[in-house]
Amino acid sequence: MDKMTEEQYRAISNMLRKRSLWMLHYCTGCGAMELPPTMTSRYDMERFGIVPYVTPRQADILLVTGYVNTKTLRRIVTVYEQMLDPKYVIGFGSCPINGGVYWDSYSVIKQLDKYIPVDLYIAGCMPRPEAIITAFRHLMDLVDKGKADGYRRYKENLDYYKKNQRKVLG
Amino acid sequence: MKEIIERVKRISGAEVSVRRENLIFVDVSRDKLISMLYDMKLEGFNQLSIMSAVDRLEDNEFEIFYVLYNYREKINAVVRSRIERENAEIETAEKIYPPAHTYERELTEMFGIKVLGNSESGKPFILENWKDKPPMRKDFDSVRYVNSHYEFRHSAEEETEGKNE
Repeated sequence: MDKMTEEQYRAISNMLRKRSLWMLHYCTGCGAMELPPTMTSRYDMERFGIVPYVTPRQADILLVTGYVNTKTLRRIVTVYEQMLDPKYVIGFGSCPINGGVYWDSYSVIKQLDKYIPVDLYIAGCMPRPEAIITAFRHLMDLVDKGKADGYRRYKENLDYYKKNQRKVLG
Repeated sequence: MKEIIERVKRISGAEVSVRRENLIFVDVSRDKLISMLYDMKLEGFNQLSIMSAVDRLEDNEFEIFYVLYNYREKINAVVRSRIERENAEIETAEKIYPPAHTYERELTEMFGIKVLGNSESGKPFILENWKDKPPMRKDFDSVRYVNSHYEFRHSAEEETEGKNE
């Protein structure tokens, strides 16, 4: 049997990876409201192999639900850096995208992807469980193709992210 | 009218206005505030529901209010007092109502009102590394602060317009 090339190895590991994504949901805002129906029998995200998990060290997905203010951003960065590679971030709702209804609040950050790399955004206020399931399916496709490379971008552009973090967190 | 309202009216320095059967407002001058709270506690107002401040920018004053509740008579009382806006200071109420300790820390951080006698007044509480004016003051310009500290996301159309120019 021929030796497996690195490309083949990566393709197989990506295929297996996308079938067991464990999710850590960081519930900062109202977004957590839509997760119970997504997790439980009505929409049942476990049929895609996505399980809610309790610690950052065992999780693959960081789901940031709702607005992020400077105080929670500090914790999110800590949690994100604790997670092991490969790791993916999903911004949930319109607040991590552009501040949402809190656009003029003194403590809410406006773009989450300036501080940690975001693989996927779910727009809407609130996104329905169907939208969350669609986003997970989309993330599975991205993982399969090897395009969900946020954790690699974070390492390559660490100076850029750290500079932005220092600017808001002081 | 309930007898408790009559009793509150007899406390010296209290200007009582009855809003509803179970809600009264007690206006008091700044130097009688703490003794007023003490008397209210003796009347059976055992619970401090919340204390905070309102920034009355047009009068150049802060309005400090304490919302109290009397379980026996089932009546709310709001004790209010006005203080000067410059170098604002109040005395602590934590000896009378212990929960006031935390509310006063928040008051110091959000309004910049110094609380005398509270050991932790001025210690960092909610805002981390805050260097600007206290954010709950009316003359704090939130939009200016946001524009100077955060970058807004531009739509794809706006970005292409910028490139053409």
